[in-house]
Amino acid sequence: MPIDHKRINGPEITIPYQLFDKLNTKSGKSQFKDFVKSNGVRIDGRSANDHRKIFLKTGVVSQAKGSAYIELDKTKVIVSVFNPREIPNKSEYSSKGEIYCEFKYAPFSCHKRRLHQQDPEELQYSAIMKQALESAVSRHEFPNFQVDIYALVLHNDGAALSAAITVAGVALAHAGIPMYDLITSVTLAVQGEFVLVDPNLEEERLCQVPLFKDEQNTNHGIVVLSMLATHEQVSQFYQTGNLAMDNLTSAIETLTNAAKDIVVLVKKCLVRHVIKSARNVED
Amino acid sequence: MALCEAEKTFVLHGVEENFRIDGREREDYRPMELETNIVSHAFGSARLRLANTDVLVAVKIEVDVPYPERPREGKLEFFVDCSANATPDFEGRGGEDLAVEISNSLAGAYRSPEVFDLTKLCILKGRKCWKIFVDILLLECGGNLYDAVSIAVKAALWDTRIPLVKSVTVDGNNIDMEVSEELHDCQKLDVTGAPIMVTVCKIGEQCIVDPSAAEELCSVGALVISVSRNKFSTILQTGSGSLHPQTLLECLQTGHKVAQRLHDALIETLVDIKPSENSVGFLR
Amino acid sequence: MPQKIHIRLAAHRVNASVAVNRRVPKIFTPGQVITEQNEFMRGHGTYEEEGFLKSSVAGVKEQVNNLISIRPLKSRYNGEVGDVVVGRITEVQQKRWKVDTNSRLDSVLLLSSVNLPGGELRRRSAEDEHMMRQYLQEGDLISAEVQSVFSDGSLSLHTRSLKYGKLSQGVLIKVFPSLIKRSKTHFHNLYVGASIILGNNGFIWIYPTVTNSEDGVGGFVQNLEEVVSRPERETIARLRNCILALTQSKMMLFDTSILYAFEESQKYSVPELLVPEAMVDVAILTQDRLSMAENS
Repeated sequence: MPIDHKRINGPEITIPYQLFDKLNTKSGKSQFKDFVKSNGVRIDGRSANDHRKIFLKTGVVSQAKGSAYIELDKTKVIVSVFNPREIPNKSEYSSKGEIYCEFKYAPFSCHKRRLHQQDPEELQYSAIMKQALESAVSRHEFPNFQVDIYALVLHNDGAALSAAITVAGVALAHAGIPMYDLITSVTLAVQGEFVLVDPNLEEERLCQVPLFKDEQNTNHGIVVLSMLATHEQVSQFYQTGNLAMDNLTSAIETLTNAAKDIVVLVKKCLVRHVIKSARNVED
Repeated sequence: MALCEAEKTFVLHGVEENFRIDGREREDYRPMELETNIVSHAFGSARLRLANTDVLVAVKIEVDVPYPERPREGKLEFFVDCSANATPDFEGRGGEDLAVEISNSLAGAYRSPEVFDLTKLCILKGRKCWKIFVDILLLECGGNLYDAVSIAVKAALWDTRIPLVKSVTVDGNNIDMEVSEELHDCQKLDVTGAPIMVTVCKIGEQCIVDPSAAEELCSVGALVISVSRNKFSTILQTGSGSLHPQTLLECLQTGHKVAQRLHDALIETLVDIKPSENSVGFLR
Repeated sequence: MPQKIHIRLAAHRVNASVAVNRRVPKIFTPGQVITEQNEFMRGHGTYEEEGFLKSSVAGVKEQVNNLISIRPLKSRYNGEVGDVVVGRITEVQQKRWKVDTNSRLDSVLLLSSVNLPGGELRRRSAEDEHMMRQYLQEGDLISAEVQSVFSDGSLSLHTRSLKYGKLSQGVLIKVFPSLIKRSKTHFHNLYVGASIILGNNGFIWIYPTVTNSEDGVGGFVQNLEEVVSRPERETIARLRNCILALTQSKMMLFDTSILYAFEESQKYSVPELLVPEAMVDVAILTQDRLSMAENS
């Protein structure tokens, strides 16, 4: 991992103080019990299938062609989309336009301080974002051009990737890039019997490892799914952890339904933007 | 390489007919060739050849300090090198994107403790652990990289032997380790749970596994499904296309089924390895 | 029912060589002295130094009267006028197409050397130049004949015959050009139910036999609707795997050897022919039959 020496990166051996926190002396299982009660009610009062409240706004970056901002409670992501430009150092004519995505955590957005350069996780999320958005954009309408999409996570409180994909779709629409469909994305965390839609950071972390080994249920993991609303197409699917087939079957169903629910919101946000700009012209 | 429409049609109809251009059915693999223990400086190594794809995996082990947040665990890291030997496209930074994608998907697939138990690699809690470096070198690219890489990695880890630590003594901040000097005194890794990746490629309305280069060109998208002990450890969608949720499920089922067969075939081969056999290496 | 998945160990690898005990020709390596240069002429793959004729490639000596040349064991295709080639369009340019024919440089196909729809004597108009991509576009496969060889070794092709032109559905195999045996015809309608074009450049095209040759326009038509039937598909796949088996054992490819291989391969199912043992077996059986036919 190359390190940018022009910036002060801080000593490499520093560790976040949370590791010394009392919470950490507890076992993962009891931590999980703190966050999710056995009847499925979570620490913020949501039930397992509830998505967090979403705030969406377009046009937050004035210099960009299109931009949008999303809040999933504490998770905050800004995405800006820039004008199509010729593909830099391309080798041959490409009949379809390219999409370039950059997914970045702000240095202060997580527990541990993030470095300025993209780490492998961010690189992978960039690739996933690109993959998700490619099938939503009518790429044949701007051959030989590239659209740059930058996603910056200001605060990561779980489900940052799906927040970034959803809001990138809004930003693309705001930028007037031709698109086939609206794209929405939802994350799901599985731990044993519990299936949590739109997990927060702690829930996400606790679902990385199996906690209910003694109960013979080692299912755990994170699933991210992006949907094209009207075409009913899954444009991106990503899973880690350890899940059985029937887990995934139900997870896909839950996720597609959850993704459909967000579409209304995205539509509303875009319509509001159009009405607002129309009013501005009238004035 | 490009294909003309007529060739694509021929491939497409073949897939629909369940009789692909080389006579395989949709769920058939091409024969593979495997050799383990071919890099003498490595703790374990394997080379896999699947048609024109050639992958060399070598495992190195070093002593390291565990992550502060996971004091009881060792470390496992994957590095993929897309050598310009494979194709001229990889020259310079050309292969970097692919390398990151493969190493990340491997890291994702091996992350769950159910798949690979890192606590076995801990020597002294919070102080010393083994770090396993898995270096993957792509010698030749002929499509279906993920599958080939995952099989080669599993074989290399199977072949890996960790030196046996006889005793650890702690004296203040100094830690003394005594490693057994006997060559044959070493542990083998438990790799039964190591995931197998299957690329399920969607061509037309059907899904196929182990696509040839021509078939890869005909497909709009693929799912890389990694399966460990009957469960999914990572799923990744590649390509620019999208899938209907129902198709997604069908792909998952196909991948699950094929990964199981692939796993059985691999274990059968690995058990068959006799240490006395002379090595073939890179001579052809 | 899907096939068993074969993962074999390298130690169990089969030897693909089927060479019968013939005299191995002397192989020259680059820089090796071939002869003292006095009356000999310098051919391809050789150079002169200090009065000696030396080899510049690794290969075998070929001598025609006074001309000495070294033919490399493996090389790209060196075209000769009259060769039948199969090629893929790589670029559409002004009045010409660039074609990949496995030679060192891309070959050219001039707009004036193709038969356009509407008869041989049609004049080429400006519209034709604009329509070029409709006739042949990037990625399309053609069969053609070498019309002339330029001084830099690149080839000029023509398709001025009804047998040449754009290829429709089928499978392309790439082999070493040196494995293709030169013969009177490189177009074969095999009795087994498929046709084959053995391009001199090492590109082999296998396609379903066309019974009615109603496309008398120089062949710019591709039939994308027609579904090739299962038996034809099986024949094509079997031919493909047989040719690959012969190639792996470095055997010459011509209609008889391919047909023998096809017949000998009947004891295996088509996917079984991908397994190395079966491939070698087919190659050996074919070799036996060929030498029997030679001796009788």
